[in-house]
Amino acid sequence: MKARRALRVVCLGILIAIFTLGLLAGSITHYSYAFQFRELPNAAPSSLHLLGTDPLGRDLFTRVLYGTRISLLLAPAAALLATIIAAILGGIAGLRGGWLEKLILASADLSMSLPLLFVLIALRVWLPLDASPVLSAGATFLTLGILGWPASLRVVWATARNLRESDHILLARSLGYRNSQLLFGQIIPCLRPVFLAQFWVSIPLFILMEATLSMLGLGVLEPLPSWGNLLHGFEDFSAMAANPWRVAPLLVLVLTVICFQFIFPESEELA
Amino acid sequence: MAHWISKLGWKVIQLVALAILGALLCATMMRFAPGYGVDERELDSRYSQASRESIRSEHHISDGLFSYYGVYLKGLVRGNFGTSIFLQRPVGELLRERAPFTLRTVLFGLLTAWILATALSLLTVRFQSWALDYSATAVTGMLIALPAAVVALGCLYLRAPVFLGIAVVILPKLFRYQHNLFAHAHSQPFVLAARARGVSRNRILFRHVIPVAWHPLVALLGVSASMAFGAAIPLEAISDSPGVGQLAWQAALNRDLPLLTSITLLVTLLTVGVNVLTGSMREGQP
Repeated sequence: MKARRALRVVCLGILIAIFTLGLLAGSITHYSYAFQFRELPNAAPSSLHLLGTDPLGRDLFTRVLYGTRISLLLAPAAALLATIIAAILGGIAGLRGGWLEKLILASADLSMSLPLLFVLIALRVWLPLDASPVLSAGATFLTLGILGWPASLRVVWATARNLRESDHILLARSLGYRNSQLLFGQIIPCLRPVFLAQFWVSIPLFILMEATLSMLGLGVLEPLPSWGNLLHGFEDFSAMAANPWRVAPLLVLVLTVICFQFIFPESEELA
Repeated sequence: MAHWISKLGWKVIQLVALAILGALLCATMMRFAPGYGVDERELDSRYSQASRESIRSEHHISDGLFSYYGVYLKGLVRGNFGTSIFLQRPVGELLRERAPFTLRTVLFGLLTAWILATALSLLTVRFQSWALDYSATAVTGMLIALPAAVVALGCLYLRAPVFLGIAVVILPKLFRYQHNLFAHAHSQPFVLAARARGVSRNRILFRHVIPVAWHPLVALLGVSASMAFGAAIPLEAISDSPGVGQLAWQAALNRDLPLLTSITLLVTLLTVGVNVLTGSMREGQP
């Protein structure tokens, strides 16, 4: 148990460090993520370029830092959106019951059985051809947030349904609270730990999904860096073998996702 | 039995309703997509005015929305999914060519992942060894942190078949879920009582643990099918395999909405169909 707690603290420390580096990217490096050192494509790491440069001569360290900022700001934003949708719909389903509950649960079951990547790329095609990189990043994570709620909804609904018959809700009902007051004043505040857990669980999922979409050229557009489009160069295996430092974005991504898996306490630790 | 059949019938009706709803949604997406009905042949001065009118009428531009829905649904019923814009071939023909490869790959991938995940999770519960438990958790934890597209590149470098890539993407998720289910069932009081009576570990596993975890496992089968189809896109796209996943990727890059929406509709119906089937299997069991 002690080892698990220590591991959790280490993971939390790593995540805070990575997040801080991403946030302070502008102060840590004075290069622009899009600036091309035309005379230095595929340069090896040096004191000027800590992780070398990519085939277009852009400083890889700078791009990893800015990519970290984008992925670690937008993935939690998408997770927040998905959690809010799940909280409202799950809360309503748990509180109201009846046909509304059946309808919401059926929609969640249906959405969960959809092949998410197919739906994501079908919606992504709607972006205009001349969409800016910032718009592409926003649209990618917004779509993830809008489509990512069903898994959380089931958990929220189950807990809200148990609360429906609890003493304090019955008391609130007898005092004449309306359904909206019960939902936002009583049910949702009681479910805060559930929301927090669902929020944390969703972040690594969205990071991985964005990475896959961007590697396929359907996520965040160049020259804006994200962890996904930084992995784009991996397709050229001979270049990767000759420039092994270019594996850095993948290491940061994998480390972050692993840390997210370990920072939440297991049920027996909570007991 | 009659109750089960009526439930299955109800589910099939729901599936048909979903198919119609999905088709209408696809039609709406295509009708209001940027650039709908624009045909570059209209700019070609060699075409006469009558030919241009004919091209316009092919796209039903002047028709109302409901009339467009009618034409689209009538086409679907006849097996006409439209024509791919960038490949200039009937979508139905493209799907017939590519679907067998993807179905085979997804099936083998699912089978491999299920066998490996079940074996691994049963072994960890059977032997209760911390070394085995931690090793399995560490390996699957590493695999779950890899984006599906990176797994696809790994398969490409190692010249591994696509189905193995699908298995690698699904395996860690299946293992985690199955391990939790089996561990929960193994910690029940009746298992403790059986152990106190000297029942062998293997017998406990096969007679007491697996039957308890059976229902959620069947539900997982449906969800894993949807995961496998999702994993097929990056794997087929990166390894240049001639499947539906690669076709969907090419359609997305070339903004070929008729092709993309038809593929999404068909794959959705397939995965929802598998979920309905597994749901009915679960409800039909005592």
